[in-house]
Amino acid sequence: MSRRPGFLVYGLLAAFVLGSAAPLYWSFLLGSQTKEVAAQGVPPLLPGGHFMANAQRAMDSIPFWKALGNSLLVSTVTACSVVFFCTLAGYAFAKLRFRGRGPLLVFVVATMAVPTQLGVVPLFILMAELGWAGTTFSVMLPWLVTAFGVFFMRQYLVDAVPDELIEAARMDGCSQIRVFLTVAVPAARPAAAILWLFTFMQVWTDFFWPLIALPPDNPTIQVALNQLQSGYFKDFSLVLAGTTLATIPLLILFVLAGRQLVSGIMQGAVKG
Amino acid sequence: MQTPKTRRVRLALSAMTALTLATTLAACSGGDDDGSAADGVTTISVATFNEFGYEGLIEEWNDSHDDIKIEQVKVGTWDDAKANLFTKLAAGSGLSDIEAIEGDAMPAIMAESGAFADLTDPELEGRWLDWKAEAGTNAEGQMIGYGTDVGPEGICYRADLFEQAGLPSDRDEVAKLMGTWDDYFATGDTFVEAMPGTAWYDSSTSLSQAMLNQVEFPFETDNETVDVENPELEAVYKTVTDNVDRGLSSKIAQWGDDWTAQFQNDGFATIPCPGWLMGIIEGNSEGVDGWDIANVFPGGGGNWGGSFLTVPTQGEHQEEAKEVAAWLTAPEQQAKAFAAVGAFPSQVEAQDSPEVNEAVNEFFNDAPIGTITADRAAAITVQPFKGPKYSDILTAFQAAIMRVDDGSKDPEASWEQFLADVEALG
Amino acid sequence: MTTHLHTRGGDIDEMSPLRPGHGPRAVRPEPPQWRQRLSRADHRYSPYLYVAPFFVLFLVIGMFPLGYTAWVSVHDWSLLGGKGDFVGLENYREVLDSPYFTKQLVNTISIFLISSVPQILIALVLAGLLDNQLRGRTLWRMSILLPFVVSPVAVAIIFGSLFGDRYGLVNQALNVVGIDNIAWHTNRLASHVAIASMVNWRWTGYNALIFLAAMQAVPRELYESAAIDGAGRLRQFVSITVPMIRPTMIFVIITSTIGGLQIFAEPRLFDDTTARNGGSDRQFGTITMLVYDFGWQLRDLGRASATAWLLFLVICVFAVVNLVLVRRIGSLGGER
Repeated sequence: MSRRPGFLVYGLLAAFVLGSAAPLYWSFLLGSQTKEVAAQGVPPLLPGGHFMANAQRAMDSIPFWKALGNSLLVSTVTACSVVFFCTLAGYAFAKLRFRGRGPLLVFVVATMAVPTQLGVVPLFILMAELGWAGTTFSVMLPWLVTAFGVFFMRQYLVDAVPDELIEAARMDGCSQIRVFLTVAVPAARPAAAILWLFTFMQVWTDFFWPLIALPPDNPTIQVALNQLQSGYFKDFSLVLAGTTLATIPLLILFVLAGRQLVSGIMQGAVKG
Repeated sequence: MQTPKTRRVRLALSAMTALTLATTLAACSGGDDDGSAADGVTTISVATFNEFGYEGLIEEWNDSHDDIKIEQVKVGTWDDAKANLFTKLAAGSGLSDIEAIEGDAMPAIMAESGAFADLTDPELEGRWLDWKAEAGTNAEGQMIGYGTDVGPEGICYRADLFEQAGLPSDRDEVAKLMGTWDDYFATGDTFVEAMPGTAWYDSSTSLSQAMLNQVEFPFETDNETVDVENPELEAVYKTVTDNVDRGLSSKIAQWGDDWTAQFQNDGFATIPCPGWLMGIIEGNSEGVDGWDIANVFPGGGGNWGGSFLTVPTQGEHQEEAKEVAAWLTAPEQQAKAFAAVGAFPSQVEAQDSPEVNEAVNEFFNDAPIGTITADRAAAITVQPFKGPKYSDILTAFQAAIMRVDDGSKDPEASWEQFLADVEALG
Repeated sequence: MTTHLHTRGGDIDEMSPLRPGHGPRAVRPEPPQWRQRLSRADHRYSPYLYVAPFFVLFLVIGMFPLGYTAWVSVHDWSLLGGKGDFVGLENYREVLDSPYFTKQLVNTISIFLISSVPQILIALVLAGLLDNQLRGRTLWRMSILLPFVVSPVAVAIIFGSLFGDRYGLVNQALNVVGIDNIAWHTNRLASHVAIASMVNWRWTGYNALIFLAAMQAVPRELYESAAIDGAGRLRQFVSITVPMIRPTMIFVIITSTIGGLQIFAEPRLFDDTTARNGGSDRQFGTITMLVYDFGWQLRDLGRASATAWLLFLVICVFAVVNLVLVRRIGSLGGER
């Protein structure tokens, strides 16, 4: 809209951004106080100088590095797996004609409504049977492919790759796989990057399944945070320093790839 | 021939692979899960909840042993530890080599005896108090758990607040005010009248725990049938819920954020106090002076909590684990744990040791906690019977107390709901 | 584009003989009859090869659990003891009879509504604000997305400390303006508001961006002609923007339904009681927490599975109701 925004618009936006940042600041604020000050409820407005000390204590009371490594591993592997399998399938649904395409796609879309909780009991039994319970692999397994991923890639590729292009390549005697690799894959890259980011974040923040699947000495970062918070004797400065610390990796990702994330959300929206 | 685009894709793919590989390595180098490294060192993991006071002991062991190393896995509350324990029992893997079990749940663990190694060892006979050893032994006479601590209760109180309320604050004087539950509550009435902003006790759930620990058959009859509609339990329930209107309770859920915060805010004046709680009080009360402990417990003695170490049979190093568990629960070690966090030893010899007997706690106004706790242990006359469902029913019972406390249900409705909850346990 | 296509085509042609399974170079000059057949087979069957890996994995980790949960739900199935007798719909009856099921279902829906409705309204307004020619556009967009990268567990811990019943910052702030303490952990409605605020904090910016994208696709002429007709900006927003982005709203509402009805981490970590069932009287226990309670606290996988299936049915019902409702509202707006 070609309107010049006024002071009011900036003011409202700034207020909202402030509200978005405030809880994070609060977390850092309490995390930087001594135990005593943090326990009294309302701390001073400026951070104290104890963040590093508190963070150190938090790392000592949970297997922080191991949890971080697990979270990184699980999120990266699943994100790559989702991108790979879903780009393949999404391309087929978008551009290739084959019998059963319509019904299969409807099936995929319908299963997007299936809550993950529904699968938890059998997945748990399955993991126990296979002896995988407690391993990081058991946390990855439910996320290796997602219906959303296929749907997302399909929506993107429908428009991103013109049919004429594929037709032309095929006229030239190109096999399917070559068309896929040389035409579809390059075109899919922006969407693949976004899907990768999304999956990474989704798996990183997941809590229910890792809580059940993993033992306390081999947690993901979310499960470790839960351990930090639960206790008979609670130290707010430590808990919030740990929480801040655990948020930093995604904040870094956000700073590096926030622009892509924004455009990804907006692109996905128009297609969806 | 490659197009620049495919090359770029390949580059991206290899970058992703490299990242994955790097994180895999990072995660793997984080520590060995299976406990046996290539150099012949066995690592025994010990899963504890709350504070067992083992940090120093583990360091001591690791400094003097090269073949077996101990690694501690700490979880916050017993409820979280319990959920994890049963989940991993079902999975058949994922438990630590040694799992600490809260005393109340030992009967439920006994019901799964096959999942836990028989730790019977003639050499250890007589190490523990009889009732403690019994609680760790199953019907077949196998010892499943080595006792760590017991929880004889005294009353911890804020001497400074007592003074402000015009009550005597000396620990012997205070003891005289609390011989029976009625005395204890009557003193509470006086207190809250003078100090309306401060509750008499920390939480109704901890008070109900204290009273429950003096009931012989709280939830189950001795042939293990559930019987929660017994007059003794109903009496405890009635006393605790009647107190709600008297202003004695803080009306705060025990162990929650507000419960922690009220240590800093003069939220309450007294708390039923087993040894293991003293460390928690001290940890939550940083900067608060005035804590003391009275050598008394209303209505006689009472034991709250105290745990066991067990060795799950799913572990790969049961022999080593047994050795470590035996060492950790030896009198000398438990005496040190007592010094560290106040967990009173369940070992006869440790209770008689000078380290325990002569212990003085600076934070509790230099109280001779060794002799006080020993007196409290001697005052215990009733060991409540605990069947396999005890722990689960207790959780439901405490929820019932809390519902009345926080005003979400009246006592009758909350009791009905408790009965339904017990029914649902199956 | 065409030139690009040409080079690409040439490239591929040159490469094709090297394709695996395509025979030696010598074959090339001959009229490629079997090659044609191969090519046809390639085009007919290879799509299945593309979707097969996905479906194989998906059947194992997506569909198998669905069916297996149904199987478990009609048996006595204890966490430790494993499968017991076939009991038909007994587990479902027990779950439906349990007062907690109804209560936690109502809680779930209540938290969902308290979070979704304001969230979508605020997101709409926010998108409206962003749909201006702002300075530092990207920076604004990124800033409102900031909470999205904070995990629900972290959100719950941070907000949990803000919403302490007695000593939390929110209540202390309320005290300053003369409002008494609100029992965030024990008052049913208050606890729902507290939990909804966590959800809103994390998702509003995200949804605003989705709305923004849709708004930017609205043809500008519509606004211009409306402006000529004398419609103010608010009027334009209500009668042009909102109806035009209807499909996007359906999308947002359905995804937030699926996510919202499964809420678990926030209420569980918000809970101060040790049992963590959502308050002493399950004031804020949700259906997913009931699944956890049945399965891993009461150690009864049969009832847990039955509850999970019931949750699925509820989500389906909600998705359909949403669809109908939004269609209806949207078409009303469109007629104006």
